[in-house]
Amino acid sequence: MTTVRDLLMTKISSIYYTNPFTTVRDALKMMAEKKVGALVVIQDGDIAGIFSERDFARKSITIPGFTMNAPIRSLMSSPVFYVLPDQSVEECMSLMTEKRIRHLPVMEENVLIGVISIGDVVRHLMVEKNAFIKNLESYIGKNAHLRPD
Amino acid sequence: MAIVNDILKLKGSQVWVISSSSFVQTALELMAEKNVGALVVADADQIVGIFSERDYARIAIELPNFTLATPIRELMSTPVFFVTPDQTIEECLAIMTEKRFRHLPVLEGNKMVGLISIGDLVKHVLSKMDNTIKDLEEYIWIHMI
Repeated sequence: MTTVRDLLMTKISSIYYTNPFTTVRDALKMMAEKKVGALVVIQDGDIAGIFSERDFARKSITIPGFTMNAPIRSLMSSPVFYVLPDQSVEECMSLMTEKRIRHLPVMEENVLIGVISIGDVVRHLMVEKNAFIKNLESYIGKNAHLRPD
Repeated sequence: MAIVNDILKLKGSQVWVISSSSFVQTALELMAEKNVGALVVADADQIVGIFSERDYARIAIELPNFTLATPIRELMSTPVFFVTPDQTIEECLAIMTEKRFRHLPVLEGNKMVGLISIGDLVKHVLSKMDNTIKDLEEYIWIHMI
C-alpha cells in the first residue's frame, strides 16, 4: 500500500507557507505566483492554520468591511487536519472527501515535511488502479489454460 | 465508455446562475449557500462567463479598486468552454487539464443542462476502475483458482 511518504518522494515538492499576519493580498499573490491553491500558516514554528482559495471565497464575505489588507489570520482554517508519512494515500482521500478539503499538511515528529493536494492523491490513485487492472488482465491472459472449460 | 450524460443522471442538472452585474458579495453568498465552487454567469439567458473560487483568488488581486461590491463581470472567466452530454469523460478531463478549469457547463443545443466539476469526473472514473477491478478479481476466483 502506497504511503504519504512514497507520494511525497515522487513529487518535487516545495512547501509554501506564510505567517498569520500576512495580508490577504500578499498571500493570494504568492499563491498565484507559485500556482498553488493553499498556503500553510506558521506561527512560532507551529502550524496555526491553512489558507486556501476556498477560505478566501467563503470567509471574505463574513468579515464586516473586508479589504485585501485583512490579515489571513481572520480567514484561515484552524485547527488543521494533517496526515503522518506512514498513512496510506487512501486514508488521505477519505479525509479530504469527508472534510471537503483539498490540501493536507504532512507532519513528522511535529515538523511539517510536505503538503499533498487532492490532485496528487487522485493522480496517484488513477495510476495505481490502472496498473492493478493491467496486472489482473495480464494474469488472466497468461493463465487462460487454467480455465476448466 | 462513460459520457457526460451518465454523470448528469447521477448529479442532476441543477446549475446556479448569476448575472454579470451582480456584486462579488452576492455571488460568493450563493456559492457558500449552495456549497459549490463555481457559478455560471448569464445575461438574458446567454452564458457570458464562469465565476469560480479560483477566479476570485487570482483576479481580485489584479483589480486595483477591488471591493466586495465589484461586479462579477470584472472577475469572471471568459470565453466559456463547454461540453455536450454525449462527450466522453476523457474528453472533459483533457479540456480541464489543458485549460486548467475545474468546471464545464454542459450544453444541449442552446440549452444548459448541467455543470460538471473535475471532482464529479474523477469520482466517476475512480469508481469505474474499482468496479473493473472487482469484476476481474471475481473472474479469476471463479474461473482460475
